[in-house]
Amino acid sequence: MNQNDSNRQLQVLTVCGVGMGSSLILRMNAEKALSTLGVSAKVEHTDMSSARSMRADVVIAQGMHADDLAGVAPVVLSISNFMDVDGLRRQLDEALRAQGWLGDE
Amino acid sequence: MSEPDDDAPVVAAATGVNAADWRAAVRAACQPLVDAGAVEPRYTDRCVDMVEEHGPYMVLTPGLALAHARPTDGVRRLCLAATTLTEPVMFGHPDNDPVDLLIAFGSPDDSSHIGLLQKLAEHLLAGLADTLRDAPDRARAIRALETVVADL
Repeated sequence: MNQNDSNRQLQVLTVCGVGMGSSLILRMNAEKALSTLGVSAKVEHTDMSSARSMRADVVIAQGMHADDLAGVAPVVLSISNFMDVDGLRRQLDEALRAQGWLGDE
Repeated sequence: MSEPDDDAPVVAAATGVNAADWRAAVRAACQPLVDAGAVEPRYTDRCVDMVEEHGPYMVLTPGLALAHARPTDGVRRLCLAATTLTEPVMFGHPDNDPVDLLIAFGSPDDSSHIGLLQKLAEHLLAGLADTLRDAPDRARAIRALETVVADL
């Protein structure tokens, strides 16, 4: 995502093995975290094999899957606790700032 | 809302289950759904296969695993079950082991479960896992899950 695309929604992909349960719960918590950061984002959830052929700005998955997803997005976040919305918010905040996708207040 | 509804999710539970290892725990977590007729017995094997194939990623948060397989693996009805273990088991998750609570679900298609899991996530954020862990018996655990379903 380029900075001059600032009106474009951030494309976020949450990924798990089957693409039905864990990734869906992670998607809901990622939506909560992004909303508290004030980031406009489209979050989708999917399974590992589909994810490999997809492209996004940010991909979020369990650490054990993160290496496999390196080519999917410039930002790959490893999450251990899928229910820790505040931890997810902090990781997103740091990663989006590092990319210049989240400005200072 | 309180009227019997053929489309309402099947809710089931088991408390104080002895499981020797994670495979036994996943099987135990699926058994209430098999007993309720919501999934075919083979669903249990497929839930174990999912962990074998993809790793213990479904250990979502410390102590809690979400067991499920695909709609084509023998799901008859949308369903949700909670199972607590007397002794926690190791799944091999780097941070969230050991697991003492399993939530199993089954969805008859790729979308029927979305609302249910949304509510489940909300209730987990509001402390459902500990309510289930503290449930002294099956009836109390089912009642806790029914609050999730009633919220749909």
